[in-house]
Amino acid sequence: MLKQLQRWLLQLLGRMFSDAWANKLARLFSRRAVERIRVEATDDILDILLYAMEVCFCLDRSYRNDNLRAFSGIYVFTAAERPIGGTARFANGRMYVSPEAEKEFTVRVRFKNAEALRRFLFAGSPDVLNALLDDQVELDGNLNYIYKFGFMVSDLERRLGLLD
Amino acid sequence: MPGSEGTMNARVTLTDLALSGCARSARVERLRKAYFEACPEVCIERPSLVTKLHREFGLFEQARIGAWDKARVYRRTLECRKAIVWHSTARTRTGETFSFDASSPFAGSTTSKFKGVLLYPEFMALALWPELHTVSRRSANPYQLSAEDADQLNREVFPAWLDRSILESARAAAARSGKPKTEQPDFSLLQYMVFFLASKPECISHTIPSFSRAVGEGLRAVVNDARKRAATEHEPAHSFHKALAEVLEGVIQYSRKLADEAEQLAASEPDQQRRAELVELARIHRRVPEERAETLREGLTTVWMCWIACHLENPNIGLSLGRLDQLLYPLYRGDLDKGTLSIEDAVELCCCLWLKIGDHVPMVPQAGEQLFGGTGSNQAITLGGVDVEGKDAVNDLTYVMLRAIELMELRDPNLNARYMQGVNPPEYLHRLCQVNLDTRATPALHNDRAVIEALVAAGDTLEQARDYGIVGCVEPASNGRTYSHTGAILLNLTSALELALFNGRHRHTGLDRRIGIETGDPSKFQCMDDFRAAFECQVRWLADAAVNVNNALGQAHQSWYPTPILSALFEGPMEKGRDLIDGGATINSSGVTIIGLADTADSLSAIQKLVFEERQLSLVEFISAVRDDFKGQTALQARLMNPAKTPKWGNEDEVGNDSVRWLVELLNTVFSSCENYRGGRYRVGYWTMTNHAGFGRLMKASPSGRGAGENFASGFTPVSGVTPELTAVLNSVSAVPTQALRNGVAFNLKFTPHPNDPALLAAFVHTVETYFSEQGEHPGGMEIQFNVTQREDFIDAVKYPDRYPELLVRVSGYTAYFKDLTPKMQEEIINRTEYELATGAAVHPEVIHLVTTGD
Repeated sequence: MLKQLQRWLLQLLGRMFSDAWANKLARLFSRRAVERIRVEATDDILDILLYAMEVCFCLDRSYRNDNLRAFSGIYVFTAAERPIGGTARFANGRMYVSPEAEKEFTVRVRFKNAEALRRFLFAGSPDVLNALLDDQVELDGNLNYIYKFGFMVSDLERRLGLLD
Repeated sequence: MPGSEGTMNARVTLTDLALSGCARSARVERLRKAYFEACPEVCIERPSLVTKLHREFGLFEQARIGAWDKARVYRRTLECRKAIVWHSTARTRTGETFSFDASSPFAGSTTSKFKGVLLYPEFMALALWPELHTVSRRSANPYQLSAEDADQLNREVFPAWLDRSILESARAAAARSGKPKTEQPDFSLLQYMVFFLASKPECISHTIPSFSRAVGEGLRAVVNDARKRAATEHEPAHSFHKALAEVLEGVIQYSRKLADEAEQLAASEPDQQRRAELVELARIHRRVPEERAETLREGLTTVWMCWIACHLENPNIGLSLGRLDQLLYPLYRGDLDKGTLSIEDAVELCCCLWLKIGDHVPMVPQAGEQLFGGTGSNQAITLGGVDVEGKDAVNDLTYVMLRAIELMELRDPNLNARYMQGVNPPEYLHRLCQVNLDTRATPALHNDRAVIEALVAAGDTLEQARDYGIVGCVEPASNGRTYSHTGAILLNLTSALELALFNGRHRHTGLDRRIGIETGDPSKFQCMDDFRAAFECQVRWLADAAVNVNNALGQAHQSWYPTPILSALFEGPMEKGRDLIDGGATINSSGVTIIGLADTADSLSAIQKLVFEERQLSLVEFISAVRDDFKGQTALQARLMNPAKTPKWGNEDEVGNDSVRWLVELLNTVFSSCENYRGGRYRVGYWTMTNHAGFGRLMKASPSGRGAGENFASGFTPVSGVTPELTAVLNSVSAVPTQALRNGVAFNLKFTPHPNDPALLAAFVHTVETYFSEQGEHPGGMEIQFNVTQREDFIDAVKYPDRYPELLVRVSGYTAYFKDLTPKMQEEIINRTEYELATGAAVHPEVIHLVTTGD
């Protein structure tokens, strides 16, 4: 309920402001946290990333339009060594995050630990190959959705001014 | 005049085979400079048009896509493509645009860019998705991509293929099949990366089209043939023949559009010479490829137009051009006899065509750079050898093309030269060796006698085998009639060894989990035969898994990716009324290449010698040392790496040679008994591209003494550093049974160059002659390729890559620019055994480490 309220509030803010201002707000809410998890692997890495994406999707119309138009998919993340996990569901032009790893998925990413996930997501681009080569990550399902997720993460970084 | 066996070859009339009077013309110099300056740019023309047309024709909603569906897409794409006569701008690595005078005797381009990156969203292009914002700035082999184009890919193109790429289609089809999981192809094995790679998610491509009808009759005649057949046939042949006519009509239209564009440019061109060139281009493109070619330039233009069309449909990985010197010689001779062409003109035409052929690069995502970094499109051209009657086929155009290769020193096309000892003239071999010294890395040399024997053993007729061309890196296939997909499976043989050592478990995936089959506790093995039996079981299991995955992917191609363009340019589909993907070719085969042959053989030899012959230690103790990466066992490791104490392939050691012989015969038996999805058979070869570094990185220590993460030996080459005598290496490698090497081999040698020593060429020629010479029933070694670069230059090029933009090297099969390779591959090439040709002795400079093992 609280989450739903928060989402409405963010969407409202997004509607009230121009794209440029919405982007500034998104930076205000998320930049520092994302900047941190790009270089530091902590147990809250997945929570921070998914939250930052959710905030940005709510606030930033162009981020939403560029990435969520007619897109649906369920991403399940689980970790072998730490209590990290969650589900990101995309449907109806929105992103829904839940802390549980749901059974149904389009693609499931099982990573060894937070560092493995950090490297996987932020090593220039999702470093699928190296993560697989090093046996740090196991993927189940449609790999194309990983590439799509990788773009959404990189697009978030760009919008937060972290790519330059 | 050069001849052979006392007979004159009337097709060689040149007095100077080196054509030393022919240099790069001013035009070629200009184009080549721009070529090296240009950074590849991602081209979105093809993916945008193909995606739009799939939507327009409702193909995304169809359960299957037929040849006619694809033909409509390709014809419209060819008609809608922007006709670019000459590119005049390109972008540098830093993104700056530069202009140049790009007038060329050939119009058109594979992409809308001067040097383009082709994207096939039907295959693996979506792997570039995460990099759309960063690919222009990545450190290894960047591609330029504008923000607008990136936006279009993200919004319009890639989303359409999320659930429809070939890999995903195959995976979904397997899941839908209702079969129990144990009977479905195990795609998860692909994900571990350590067992095998299958290339069908990325392409088939590895084959040689036939241009003979296009050049000799013109595409209009082929269109008419297809239409005539369609008129009297029932489905599915009716639609298939209609599809062939449709795509060829598209190729003709594209050429006419270029003619229109050239005419328009000519009308506004103030410079008289350029105007005349444009008028001539327009004239040629109005005639060919629709009509039969009457001049060399028209013949080359026909090939070029067909080549562009082939790449519209087939990813630019390993699609090869075949025996152009044979195909085009009559046109060349005709021009010369009429006095309308000089030899210098012919060389310039070839130089310009080589640049056109190299106008695109394959899309390699950042992650893929690790395995395939620095690869070109591997478009092989084959020269020389014998004709279908077994007679000397070397002609003047062979030397013209060779000279053009020598002058250009390009990565693509990848030159392969055939040589039949006793039939081709010795002067020809001299010339091939000279070009190798000049270019430092090309051409690769193929022994006709050995290759033809291997192809006949695989089932080709003698005539078909004699007309072989080289595909991709080094794979032989009958020219224009074998749909070969020579790179279908890349199998890591050392994984079979690993599974035998650990009873079906693999250190990479964890010794607590069984992946392969249980083949027995090694402590119970009483003799080498017991160990070999376990290993053989694991090889059969691995081969079975790889073949199942490849066949499932092949079936996905059959359902969603028929290839009418390639089918129209091939021997078989027209007559059979069937697409290549459905077995329309005259000969159908699939290729397997093995990674880790020498390391596996040396490991088997070590186990045989130390454990079962000399009883130095038990197999359990040996496995324990290997599992611990020889920690605390340096003496054992040193002994294993010492060729005087442990058998190594490449030293004429009976045990070493026996291990390799047993392995290649086993692999040939196992794979040749497997049927592919087109009803053909699998053929096994030994060339590794850069995968010996990639797979080496994944694998832990080997019983051969190799440490964890170290590179494997490349291709069909003994392990580096353990073969001190060149002659012994040549004898060992050439002794392997040729009939079991049906998908080609890459035998890499490195020589110390002495630029001012005239004896070097003679020694070089002698080495090749020795390696290729018949020994009783045995036809001699199959293939050999060289790097002849100063070690200091390599080391300097690592430090200062910008000083060596054109430094060409043979990797293991293809040629690459040294600066583009990964540090791991650069290290492997620097550390390859290097021989002094004068003495035949290995030189042993210190081993260079550019990368920490395991990085």
